[in-house]
Amino acid sequence: MTFKIVVCIKQVPDTNDIKWTEHNTIQREGLDSVINPYDIGAIQLAKNFKYLIPDSEITVVTMGPNQAIDALKTAVAMGCDDAVLLSDKRFSGSDTLATAYCLSQYIKTFVPDFDLIICGQQAVDGDTAQTPSSMAQKLNIEQITNVIAIKEANNDFSVCIKDTNDYKQEIKASYPFLMAFSQRDIDIIPDINGYIKAQNKTITVLNADDIKADTDSIGIKGSPTQVRKAFRPLNNRESIRIENESVQNIADFIVNEVNKCRTADE
Amino acid sequence: MNNRVLIYIEVNNGVVARVSKEIISHAKQNFLQSSIDGIVLGDEQSIDSALFDLKQLGLNKLYIIKDNLLDMTNAKVYANALSVFLENNQYDVLLMGATSDGRDIAPRLASKQDIGLTADCTGLEVDENGNLLATRPTYGGQLMATIVSKTKPNFATVRPGAFKYLQQSCNNETEIEYFSLSFDGLCSLLEVLYSENKPAAEDWTCSEIIVAGGLGIQNKENFNLIYKLADLLGAKPAASRAAVEQGWAEQSIQVGQTGNSVSPKLYIAFGISGAMQHMTGITNADKIVAININKDAPIMSGADIAIECDAVSLLHTLIGKLSD
Ligand SMILES: Cc1cc2nc3c(=O)[nH]c(=O)nc-3n(C[C@H](O)[C@H](O)[C@H](O)COP(=O)(O)OP(=O)(O)OC[C@H]3O[C@@H](n4cnc5c(N)ncnc54)[C@H](O)[C@@H]3O)c2cc1C
Repeated sequence: MTFKIVVCIKQVPDTNDIKWTEHNTIQREGLDSVINPYDIGAIQLAKNFKYLIPDSEITVVTMGPNQAIDALKTAVAMGCDDAVLLSDKRFSGSDTLATAYCLSQYIKTFVPDFDLIICGQQAVDGDTAQTPSSMAQKLNIEQITNVIAIKEANNDFSVCIKDTNDYKQEIKASYPFLMAFSQRDIDIIPDINGYIKAQNKTITVLNADDIKADTDSIGIKGSPTQVRKAFRPLNNRESIRIENESVQNIADFIVNEVNKCRTADE
Repeated sequence: MNNRVLIYIEVNNGVVARVSKEIISHAKQNFLQSSIDGIVLGDEQSIDSALFDLKQLGLNKLYIIKDNLLDMTNAKVYANALSVFLENNQYDVLLMGATSDGRDIAPRLASKQDIGLTADCTGLEVDENGNLLATRPTYGGQLMATIVSKTKPNFATVRPGAFKYLQQSCNNETEIEYFSLSFDGLCSLLEVLYSENKPAAEDWTCSEIIVAGGLGIQNKENFNLIYKLADLLGAKPAASRAAVEQGWAEQSIQVGQTGNSVSPKLYIAFGISGAMQHMTGITNADKIVAININKDAPIMSGADIAIECDAVSLLHTLIGKLSD
C-alpha cells in the first residue's frame, strides 16, 4: 500500500528584503515571493521518507491566490509528486484557525487515508507556528513539533528527535500523525528533470465547495482574530548621547548606573 | 464590570514555570477589575510537589486537573482536557506561556474550541470593554501587530521573559478546587523513548542586570571579558546571535527573536549593532545602555544611553576598576 505523505507549504514575501510604506504596510510591489524556508525543510524531510519507505507518494498543498502555483511548481521540481492549490475568493482573510480548517478539510475530503503530514515549524512572515498544531487537532491525530531529525522510519512507525529550548526528546509514533520540522537552512536545488516534471505537471485547484468547507468557518467570517493596529516598533527611549569622553569617565558612569539600579531595589 | 481571567499554570517536574508567574504579575498589575484564576494539569507527583508554591501565587482560585495520564505533557491530551474544563467554566481572557509545550497545546485548544489565538505576545492590555489587546512582533520584529479576537475567551500565549515577575507576599491562601473529567479515549499515542531537560533559562532571564556582547567584541578571548564583567557586577552575560554564531557564547544566552526575551532593569550592550531581531528581545528592559564605536549604529538611537566608545578597552577599564 502506498505510503501517503502530505506536505503543507506557504508562500511568503522574501522577509530579507522588506520595504515599508509610510503607513506601516509592506510595499508589495517588486517584492519577491518565496517558499517559506521552513517548508523547504519539510519537503526535504518528505523526500527522506520516500527514500526510506520506497512506495511513498508526496502531495504538496498550499492555500493562497493563483500566484501560489509558482510555489507549487517549485515544490514539484524539488521532488513532490502531486500539487494542490486551495484557492477561492471566500478563503481570503483567513487567520490561522480558518487556514488550519481549510487544510484539514482538504485532507479529510481528498486524502483521508494519509499516513504522515509534514509542515514547516513556522512561517517567517507571521512566526506564529499555530497552523500545524491547529490542523492536527482538527484531524484528531498526534503531533510532534520542533523535529530536527528522524532517527528511524519504516512502514509502521518512526522515531523523531524533538529539540526545543526546554528539552530534547526521542519520540516514537505510529501513523497517522503530523510532524513540524524546524530546520530552516536547507536548500533544494532542482535538477533539469525536476523542472521538466514541474512544467508538465497539472496543479489541482480546489475551491471551498470541493473541500466541503462550511462557509462560516473560512475567510474573514471564520477568522476570530483581527489586527486592530500595526506599528513599527517605536523608539520611546530618552536617548542620551555620550561622545568624546575618556574611557575612565565612561567606566565611572557605568558603575554609577549599576549602583543606581541596585539602590532602586531597596 | 468583572473580567474573568484564566491563566494556565505550567508545572515541570514539580516546579512552577517562571513564565506563569510573569503572566500572573502582569495581569494583577495591569488588568483592572479582573478576577484571576489559574488552572494546572499534571500527575500526582508533580502536582503534589508544586502545591505549596501554587498556593502562593496570589490567584483568586486555582483549579487542578490531576491524573496519572498527565505525567508527560502531551499536547493532544492536555488540550482536550483543558477544552472540557472550558466547556464547564466561562472566562473572558485565557493566557498561557509560550514555552515549547505551551506553543503545542494552545493552538490545539483554540482549534478544539474554535476560538482565536494570538501567539507569542510581548504586550497585553485589556480595553474598557474587557477585550484583550494582544501585541506581538511579526516579520522578525520589524512590525508589531495588536490583535483582538471576536471569540471568548480571548486567548493569547506570552513570550517567556516578556513580563517582569514581581514577587509579592500574599497572605491569603488560594482556594483550590479539583476538576475531574473522564480520560476515556484520551491517552497519548506517542512513546517518549528518551527525554533530557535543558538547563532552565530562567535563572538568567530574570536577572536585574544583563551585560551583553556582540560582534564588536571581535574575538572569543575578548568575549571572556563579558563573562568576567558580568561576574564582577553580579550580572548575567548575554550575546547577540552573531556572537553565538562565532562560537563565543552558548545559544542559551542569545537574546532576541530566536533567542530569549529579557526584561532586566539594566541592559548593557557592548558592540551590538541593534538589529531589529535583537531589539525585539529587549523591548521590555527598563534601561538600555549601548556602547558602540559607530555613533550611527541603530542601537544608538534605540538605547536610553548611547555611548560612543571602544567596547574592548572599556571592558578592560571596568574590570580593572571593579577588581581593585
Ligand atoms: C530570522 C532571523 C532571526 C534572528 N534572530 C536574532 C536573535 O535572536 N538575536 C540576535 O541578536 N540577532 C538575531 N538575528 C541576527 C541579526 O539580524 C543581526 O545579524 C545580529 O543581531 C547582529 O549581531 P551583532 O550586533 O553582534 O553584530 P553586527 O551587526 O556585526 O554589529 C557589530 C557592532 O559592533 C560595533 N563595533 C565594532 N567594533 C567595535 C568596538 N571595538 N567597540 C564597540 N563597538 C564595536 C559595530 O559598529 C557594530 O554596530 C536574526 C536574524 C534573522 C534573519
